[in-house]
Amino acid sequence: MRLFEGEVALDERLKDFAEEHKKTLGLVSLDVPLISNLDVSVNIALIKQYHENLSADKAQALVLSYLTRYGLEDISNKRNPALTNKERFCVMLLRAAMVRDSIIVIDRPFTIIPDVKDDRFIYDALKIVDDSFRECHIFDYLWSKDRYGMITV
Amino acid sequence: MINAIARIGTTTINVTKTFRDTLSFAFTIILKMFNKNSYNSATRQVLIHQIYFTSVQILPLFIGISIIFGTLLMGIVLQIIKNLGLAEHLGRIIMDLVVTELAPFVTVLLIALRSSSAINAEIAVMKVNKELNTLDKFNIDAVDYLFLPRVINGVLSVVLLSAFFSILVLTSGLLFSKLLFGLSLESYSNVLLSSANFYDIVISLVKCCTFGFFITLIPIRFGLHATNDLTSIPISVLNGMVDVFIAIIFIEVLSLILIFI
Repeated sequence: MRLFEGEVALDERLKDFAEEHKKTLGLVSLDVPLISNLDVSVNIALIKQYHENLSADKAQALVLSYLTRYGLEDISNKRNPALTNKERFCVMLLRAAMVRDSIIVIDRPFTIIPDVKDDRFIYDALKIVDDSFRECHIFDYLWSKDRYGMITV
Repeated sequence: MINAIARIGTTTINVTKTFRDTLSFAFTIILKMFNKNSYNSATRQVLIHQIYFTSVQILPLFIGISIIFGTLLMGIVLQIIKNLGLAEHLGRIIMDLVVTELAPFVTVLLIALRSSSAINAEIAVMKVNKELNTLDKFNIDAVDYLFLPRVINGVLSVVLLSAFFSILVLTSGLLFSKLLFGLSLESYSNVLLSSANFYDIVISLVKCCTFGFFITLIPIRFGLHATNDLTSIPISVLNGMVDVFIAIIFIEVLSLILIFI
């Protein structure tokens, strides 16, 4: 976890980090939204289809198996505006986890899930897919430190 | 006076720049089109969806317009041919009018009205919503994933629907040629086949491909011109559609010049 005093410092470090790990970066951020004219399953499957040329059927089956882990198989045909904040976070996290050897970076998680008080939800969401990424880094502000209890600095 | 000259100069520079940028973008797309690395499961899926949206969903409207407009026009044209005593040129006139001119023009107008505006708005919305940034962050080339399938779809759709329009209108021509000239199906087919000119068909095919290419390429380019404001979307669509219309006229005039050379 990386905590910063202000927006400028965070944005600069995040930009550098993204540049350093461009090939394996799986970014979860409001600045990297889900594509609004694709449904949830296509948004996630896109990564495997594009980079690994996985067939649409296989990619969809894989995505469905991951969504099932979260108990979110019912949202596979929904689009971004129809999702709750927690659902959106999980979908963005899954999309990031689809990158091969992914280094997941969660940019200011509480801006994506503002209704969540502490990091338990983030911790649990990461734990469910911890077999599908190499590292995970959280970028947030210093003043959010108190909200993190389960994820250590 | 000086202001007027300056305005003309600025307009000329802007038009030239737009033309150059469009051609440069077209060149990029053509290079990608012939690069096998541009194609993968995701781009193929987008292409299939685009063909469905452009060529299949439009079919009821397209068939309706083709039958109503084409049949009436064929009736009028054949009546004029009969009145002017040009029956011996029947096949040539029908082929030139329907296959070379009318079919590509009507098809491109329908597709431009429906799909070009949709593509322009779609890309502009993606730009405003930072969704193009998403593709970039996940190392997905927007040209491969978004633009190329749409352009290929434009080319395929105009060619296929134009051929379909020709078939529908030529079939309705059979009805009128029987009523007005007493031609049987066999005689009508022979008249058309003997009038079919390879050069005209090639021109028609090239024209359809060029139409399809530019009525999808120009909206994409203008969609990318949108800024981060929502209000830039209608402006982008408006400018894009005006340029699409200019491109259609420009290509049509060029093809007419080529045919008459």
